[in-house]
Amino acid sequence: MSKQINFTIDGRSVECQSGESILDVARREGFYIPTMCYLAKATPNASCRMCVVEVEGVDGLVLSCNTPAIEGASITTESDILYKERQNIMKLYNVNHPLQCGVCDKSGECDLQNKTTEFDLAEQTFATQEQKRKKKKWGVLSYDPYLCIMCEKCTSVCNEVVGSEALYIKPGGYKSVIDNHFGDCIQCGECISVCPVGAMASSDFKYNSNAWELQKVPSACAHCSSACNLEYEVKHSGIDSSGSSEIYRVTNEDDFDSLCGAGRFGYDYENRVAIKDEKAFNSAVEAFKNADTIKFNSMITNEEALILQRLKDKNGYRLVNEEARNYQNFMNSYSSVSGTSLYSGDLQAIKDSDYVITLGSSVSRDNPMIRFALATAVNINRANVAYLHPIEDYKLENLVTQFIRYEVGSEEGVMAMLLEAFASDEAKEEQKAFFSELDMGYISGESNVNEDEIKNLKSKMLRKKSPVIVIGADVMAHPSSSNIAKMVALLEKSSEFKVVIIPTNTNTLGVSMICDLDSEEGSSVVGYNVHAATTLCALGDGDLDMPALNQQEGTFTSIDKRVVPLNAALPHAGYELNDIAIALGVESEETINYTSELPTSKGFKSVEFDSLENYYTNGGEAIRGYLLDNKKIKTKKADEAISNITELEDYNGSVIYSVDHISQFNTFTNKTHQIIDKANLIGSEQFAMAAKIKGGQKVKFMFNGKEITRVFNLDSHLKGTVARHSTFDLHDSTSSGKYRYTKVQIQEEGN
Amino acid sequence: MSVENNRNVGQQDYYMVDIEDYPESNWDQFKQVVKRTFSTELFVGLWVVLREMLKFNIHTVKYPEEKLPLGPRYRAIHEMLRLMESGTERCIGCGLCEKICISDCIRMETKIDENSRKEVSEYSINFGRCIFCGYCAEVCPELAIVHGGRYENVSEQRAHYSMFDDLLTPMDTFKAGQQKEFPGFGAIIPGSDESVKKTPLAY
Repeated sequence: MSKQINFTIDGRSVECQSGESILDVARREGFYIPTMCYLAKATPNASCRMCVVEVEGVDGLVLSCNTPAIEGASITTESDILYKERQNIMKLYNVNHPLQCGVCDKSGECDLQNKTTEFDLAEQTFATQEQKRKKKKWGVLSYDPYLCIMCEKCTSVCNEVVGSEALYIKPGGYKSVIDNHFGDCIQCGECISVCPVGAMASSDFKYNSNAWELQKVPSACAHCSSACNLEYEVKHSGIDSSGSSEIYRVTNEDDFDSLCGAGRFGYDYENRVAIKDEKAFNSAVEAFKNADTIKFNSMITNEEALILQRLKDKNGYRLVNEEARNYQNFMNSYSSVSGTSLYSGDLQAIKDSDYVITLGSSVSRDNPMIRFALATAVNINRANVAYLHPIEDYKLENLVTQFIRYEVGSEEGVMAMLLEAFASDEAKEEQKAFFSELDMGYISGESNVNEDEIKNLKSKMLRKKSPVIVIGADVMAHPSSSNIAKMVALLEKSSEFKVVIIPTNTNTLGVSMICDLDSEEGSSVVGYNVHAATTLCALGDGDLDMPALNQQEGTFTSIDKRVVPLNAALPHAGYELNDIAIALGVESEETINYTSELPTSKGFKSVEFDSLENYYTNGGEAIRGYLLDNKKIKTKKADEAISNITELEDYNGSVIYSVDHISQFNTFTNKTHQIIDKANLIGSEQFAMAAKIKGGQKVKFMFNGKEITRVFNLDSHLKGTVARHSTFDLHDSTSSGKYRYTKVQIQEEGN
Repeated sequence: MSVENNRNVGQQDYYMVDIEDYPESNWDQFKQVVKRTFSTELFVGLWVVLREMLKFNIHTVKYPEEKLPLGPRYRAIHEMLRLMESGTERCIGCGLCEKICISDCIRMETKIDENSRKEVSEYSINFGRCIFCGYCAEVCPELAIVHGGRYENVSEQRAHYSMFDDLLTPMDTFKAGQQKEFPGFGAIIPGSDESVKKTPLAY
């Protein structure tokens, strides 16, 4: 345990944990220390030297960003000497800085501009020979080396927070520039958000609007279960006075939190409707009256989920959402052993961890924030990361210490091997029936995981303090998912491991807690964002237009088990789900009135929507909505027993894995203009040979009962016989709830 | 006062007008009414009119045939000027006029052009709201937006003279050397050459 320290800043006594830097403590306590290169979420660069402070009894100035506070120290943050020092630093930063504030995108929110004014530099008195440099464009990112002040924030987020190690410094004194290993760049735009000047700019936003004209709407990202904090920046579109507005860009609290490429660039998926279409509304209400099933996916708010549940309570609909039902079943089985309604870990637990195992998830694609958290764990805590998956992910090669490849379908056996390795002896005693039946040789053979690999994995555990296991979507739809869930819970109970069970879609966790889901569809189905006989859709291609998630108020339940608010960035002129509910007799004036009615028995709190907060404190603590209560659940002895490992279904021949591109998540990101990845099939040489196809060829195969045509692309980094198949353009893929690996017969198009 | 802050650049030959004190008490008011009623003040005015009429020396300006010259700092409908050297528009799209406008009547859209420079794609001034305060001309760092002399605003549509292309100096006017600098607020003030310091750039 780190110990408490007392010291004084500007005469006021403050407290902190030992090891915390002076700057962190000062900022948390509300003292202002200017910086140019400091980023709270990464290790200090110490390149700007603006954060200097005076410490009593110490000669010279001390860098507050990388100096830990010590007991009894007396620190001064403002004095004439410090002012002069900082003024001189700003003079150096301003050397040859182009005088193009008039057109620069950063103008108005530029650190260099602000601090130049703050330190009262009305004129520049010296200059240097200007170097010839080249402006660069790397996809969504544009780099202007003339504007660059070499603070190194971009390289440190790219290395430490994103973990892709794409950006690097080409050193050369005053000639230094930033360069990009473009092949490693995942186009997340983190470098754009942290750049204090206009050097790293969004290619799309460049010269589109001045920062001060944009209105910020704080909300939550709607693309995956991390539900990251973001601000939609909105302005009227065009110069006419029609009143229509658009989202110009997305920003976030970049000092403390991150966004992935989908969140930052996938924002313009709103559903524009001119007027309320009364005819379509009436026929939709009619369809609801005749229907017996509502089919939906988990890209809805908690409030909408509650409306659907109320409709079920009143009219007896069946609610069908296979993907959320799988998650619900998984969590129920998990709770039956763990005795808690929710898993113990969250993203912060992964960031703070020094030993992470991920099982059954392509983390960089399923939930980029887990990848970012892994990067932080690896770079800050020197964490050991084991990635257990049938397909090696070369985009993670900087982060993963040990990659363990297992056969498709053998997740249950692999989990059993982990349990055998990490569970305590008492747990083994408790589940004696299971452990005595466990045939490690057989499992090892079937899953193709060598027992030595697990031994090696276990040996790394030595002296690690905070292990975390991350369970992904592959496992939820596995035939023995319930058994896997119990094993996960037992591992959590009988070891130090914290568990994160990734909610498979944006609000899967919320939906699984709010709705009673049914497995069978009835004869007459209404779909909400899922194609059915009558479809309500936010994509603009259904029978009745619904508001997209950037046009709605409501809440999400995120992977952090947090209920986070979501605000409408753009207006929606049409109808919403609540209008239909009112027509069907479930009455509440506004959708957000349901926020306080979310089921408290499941851990929600009775809090009004308008009192949910969404901001960060000076110390970097996220004050967003509220945390769910982790309820105690009474376990029954009979439910606790883990059954024996079932035999494997064969996954021979061509197997495809449903997984999307890094920033391309779903039908909504597919609508946005900056995310342009095409749906395709990506496989290794080996896969191509086995399926008798070539790279660049169009192929067709049956997928979920439909014939699909895709372009096959070869990827020289990939190994093995499983191909990656993107499904983001398929309407129902996210809600199908099918196991993510599919055996297919691949044919060339035209045969 | 330094040169930068001395904005009084006109002819300063003002004089005070001799005006009688206002009546303060009721009695004073009563006296003024009686005096005006029974004196011949009315006929003084009538006499002046008659005298001037007989002299045929009439000062009325016969608008619209005749127009008075405008003061140099008169602020009427805006103009967008071109660069003297190249003839391209001066406006760089910095958006300061849009920001400073107190009646919120300027709207602009910018984009990146084919030479990777910032370009104004759309620009309009809503003259129904404009109060001709002159802040836009004063704030403009490029002397691009200025006030012109057009005070006759009758048109079928205001939009006929409120878009960027309408405000921009026509090319033939520019080539004929007819583009005029605006001497009002925001213009280069006398003596500014001495106060300008060279930016140290060692190219």
